[in-house]
Amino acid sequence: MAQEALPWAGQPESLAGKALPGREVVFTRDQLVRYAGASLDFNPIHWSDTAAEELGLPGVIAHGMLTMGAALRVVTDWIGDPSRVTSYSVRFLKPVVVDPVKGAEVRFGAEVREVRGTTATISLTAEADGARVLSQASVEVRLD
Amino acid sequence: MGRTYPPTAPYQVSQAKITEFAVAIGDGDNPAYQGPGAIAPPTFAAVLSAAAWNAIFTDPDLDLALSRTVHVDQRFEFIRPLRPGDDVRAQLTIDNVRARGSMALITFSVKLTTTDGEDVAVATSTLMHQEAK
Repeated sequence: MAQEALPWAGQPESLAGKALPGREVVFTRDQLVRYAGASLDFNPIHWSDTAAEELGLPGVIAHGMLTMGAALRVVTDWIGDPSRVTSYSVRFLKPVVVDPVKGAEVRFGAEVREVRGTTATISLTAEADGARVLSQASVEVRLD
Repeated sequence: MGRTYPPTAPYQVSQAKITEFAVAIGDGDNPAYQGPGAIAPPTFAAVLSAAAWNAIFTDPDLDLALSRTVHVDQRFEFIRPLRPGDDVRAQLTIDNVRARGSMALITFSVKLTTTDGEDVAVATSTLMHQEAK
């Protein structure tokens, strides 16, 4: 990849508190099937309403890992090179229920929480249906 | 608790699988995931971990079923990105099990290592498992 100007332009400390551009996606049932095949996670709660309801869920839910993977794009789009990501952790606070017709709208946001040396810690947010679906979502990236 | 399973057979990362995964997470156009020097998306580590998850779901001592689990939390430590051609084994260790009535919270970590012995990533997951009614 061509070397591009880094978004922090030599002053990483000034990044603390910076909000990164957010994004909004719509998860659809066919995307869940696609993600199941791509990730090899064939848990039926991600494609069968019957299986989901047996666990007390209102219907098919998105893979937590799909939400996690899609959320990270807020960070990788900003930082350019995804290999700068050194750790990533989330709690799945609430399942993302994917309607068979309308799908599920998920809105992602991110903010630089702290810069220490050449590592930035970024907090991620994800909301679906007016509620937060991730908590304690945190990404560490190398800035050097 | 503390149980470590044998590592999975080596899985060879391919450009085709990377592309399939990048498209599935909605990032199929990202130049980092294609062409010479391509890497896998960071959460691609989950593809390799999935094979190791089979160890706990086929362990007769545990009596767990994937269909009765919900993912509670997930952490990745990335040592270096995965690339096409990497031959990777995944080894699962159960870190903690907490029972809550008919539910159990199971925390385990999966270490990804190349067949050359290079550590690539560690994926730590907590699943909530519900006993069959």
